[in-house]
Amino acid sequence: MAVLQRNNVRTQGTGERAMMFAHGFGCDQNMWRHVAPAFEANFRTVLFDNVGAGGSDLSAFSKDKYASLSGYAADVVEIAEELEFKDAVFVGHSVSAMIGALASIRSPGLFGSLVMVGPSPRYIDDKGYVGGFSAAQIEELLEFLDNNHLGWSAAMAPMIMGNADRPELGSELANSFCRTDPEIAKHFARTTFTSDNRADLKHVTVPSLILQCSDDIIAPTVVGEYVHKELANSKFVQLRATGHCPNLSAPQEVIAAIRAFI
Amino acid sequence: MRADDDFEDLFEHAPCGYLSLSPDGVIVKANATFGTWTEFEPAGLAGTRFRDLLNIAGRIYLETHLMPLLRMQGFVNEVALDVVKKDGSLLPILINAVERKDASGQVAFIRLTLFNAVDRRRYERDLLETRASLQALNNSLEERVAEGVALRLKLEESLRQSQKMEAIGQLTGGIAHDFNNLLAGIGGSVELLGIRLKQGRIDTLPRYIEAAHGAVTRAAALTHRLLAFSRQQKLEPRPININRLIIDIEDLIRRTVGPGVTLEVVGAGGLWPAIIDPNQLENALLNLCINARDAMPEGGRLTIETANKWLDERSAQERDLPPGQYVTLSVTDTGTGMTPEVMARAFEPFFTTKDIGHGTGLGLSMVFGFARQSGGQVRIYSELGKGTTMCIYLPRHYGEVDTAETGSFVIKPQEASQIVTVLIVDDEPTVRLLVTEVLDDCGYHSIEAADGPTALRILRSNVGIDLLITDLGLPGGLTGRQVADLAREARKDLKVLFITGFADNAASGNGHVDPSMPMLTKPFTVEALVEKVTRLLSDETR
Repeated sequence: MAVLQRNNVRTQGTGERAMMFAHGFGCDQNMWRHVAPAFEANFRTVLFDNVGAGGSDLSAFSKDKYASLSGYAADVVEIAEELEFKDAVFVGHSVSAMIGALASIRSPGLFGSLVMVGPSPRYIDDKGYVGGFSAAQIEELLEFLDNNHLGWSAAMAPMIMGNADRPELGSELANSFCRTDPEIAKHFARTTFTSDNRADLKHVTVPSLILQCSDDIIAPTVVGEYVHKELANSKFVQLRATGHCPNLSAPQEVIAAIRAFI
Repeated sequence: MRADDDFEDLFEHAPCGYLSLSPDGVIVKANATFGTWTEFEPAGLAGTRFRDLLNIAGRIYLETHLMPLLRMQGFVNEVALDVVKKDGSLLPILINAVERKDASGQVAFIRLTLFNAVDRRRYERDLLETRASLQALNNSLEERVAEGVALRLKLEESLRQSQKMEAIGQLTGGIAHDFNNLLAGIGGSVELLGIRLKQGRIDTLPRYIEAAHGAVTRAAALTHRLLAFSRQQKLEPRPININRLIIDIEDLIRRTVGPGVTLEVVGAGGLWPAIIDPNQLENALLNLCINARDAMPEGGRLTIETANKWLDERSAQERDLPPGQYVTLSVTDTGTGMTPEVMARAFEPFFTTKDIGHGTGLGLSMVFGFARQSGGQVRIYSELGKGTTMCIYLPRHYGEVDTAETGSFVIKPQEASQIVTVLIVDDEPTVRLLVTEVLDDCGYHSIEAADGPTALRILRSNVGIDLLITDLGLPGGLTGRQVADLAREARKDLKVLFITGFADNAASGNGHVDPSMPMLTKPFTVEALVEKVTRLLSDETR
């Protein structure tokens, strides 16, 4: 039960097969609020927050454990084992797409298929590889996060601190969504944007679906195509939705694509 | 003015930037204010993605935080980001975003209201810097306090150590002095035993054995006392009038303090009697007066004052006394005063601020012990450079006053005028006995006194004294040197032989006693005593 509390795990639905929804960087399980309910009739839906985000147990955060995506993947495996997954569907957004891939490699049998929404195995361009960001840009991002307390942290600060004089800033959603401790957010950003899991892709054996947004600067189409090429048993779907969060901006399109896949 | 013009002006020139975005984030319209801030042509911004106006961190934040939140709740307030201006520099802004929906519930456009946050960002930066430097200051302050405390503890420890060493030094000196006295008694007795044995005067032997034994017993008692620091003395209290006692020794005090000090005695009318040992009170008063005199090397005013005092619960508690009626005897000088450190230690046994040989450090501790033993208290009121008041509190006696004489002494009748008379002053009875015996053998007549004041009374009487043999360290407030000096006021040619328990240089090295003055150091032999006395007395005949 400690694992379920640590990751603020919520289960719904009546189906026998589990469908697990994982949020990406900057979000929490609310990201799936328009998508997950659509599967409750046929699946046991499982939503959770990565450690450091949403309603997770912040005291469980460890810089060392979460210095690479495998730390987050280990948590996913623990949740899956705790809830006795078998052949479950993993739906991962953004960086969690790769976390799900790592979890499926780590413990075969728990997950039977992967849905990857805006996946990226590496964000920084490399020789013969386009990640969408130059090394200098990610360097600028990380430097900004390290040195500029007034960027994201200050943006979140009024909401985190729950300014009592200004209740309009403290609406429940904003509070939950941006509760992330600035230090943990910085760390997660570093882990995410410096990750390179390209080599892991060829070890993924389960069938996978890649949902690619148009005009996504975090995970450009060229990256989605790369993932599709590297994953042996994968399907690539180009969404009409733009931006990085089709699960919020175009939930129906996402639901339809997942349904078609499973 | 047309209403449209008014709205147009309000939109374009409001004190905030307005951007209308398509649902997927492309700028549809920008107002003039935003153009002015960013130096972009507002019309030229149409078709540009808003995120392209942000730096890399802002773009990622927009995609991963702001836009999802806007999608979820329809609005986002006060997100701090930087807009990249046309020249590449950054403009700090606060973004309010709201979704505008059409009749079917679809997002029609996104309205961004942007506030110029240049000042706010600077305040925030200042605030954070101040907070950080305050934190650093706090940390270093804690460190500095910790260092300071550690240093202070170390200093206190070394001070305690040096005070301990000082006390041990004084104690050792004091013990050495007292033991030399006792050794003189024991050694002399043993020597006289030998002489008497040779002379065949066996009947006199027991007294020397007794004397030696007595000295040994006192030595044991001394070590015991020193170890326990218990300075309990046997008191013989009786009801007395303190004003009368002062009058009795006023003359002695006046001579003791010398002409440089003006003595004033203010005896309270109707003073209550107190039940005390008058000899000890005399000693205490004399002691206080000598301290007062020593505190006024340039002269000054010495006031002895008595009073009736009623101590209520609070003032009694302050003085560590039971509440009730007290008689006070205070001695005030206009001298150097004491530092708080000296005040705190003034009653400690062997604590002295005087040069070695000038004070035993026992004076005030004896006054204190006497006052406490008598059911009273001693308080010090002192101000550096202004003077000191020492106040003795003694419990009031409800009853008659005992009018018996105080401070008596006995003089053996003088046998013949040509017989040489020697006054022996020493608080150690064995030493007095020995010296008397030796002088008897030499055919001299002896008078004994156990302390300075008694000796002075004898010296100020008309008794013929040819030689004064006195210990340098005496109880009762006067040193042997002082007794000799005061005696010479009346007896110019008085011969004096000092005996001392201190080492030679300790007694004479600090100008206490002129090295050329006749002196015997305890323990001494009978032969040495006879030799000194004979030489001194024969000098007189020359």
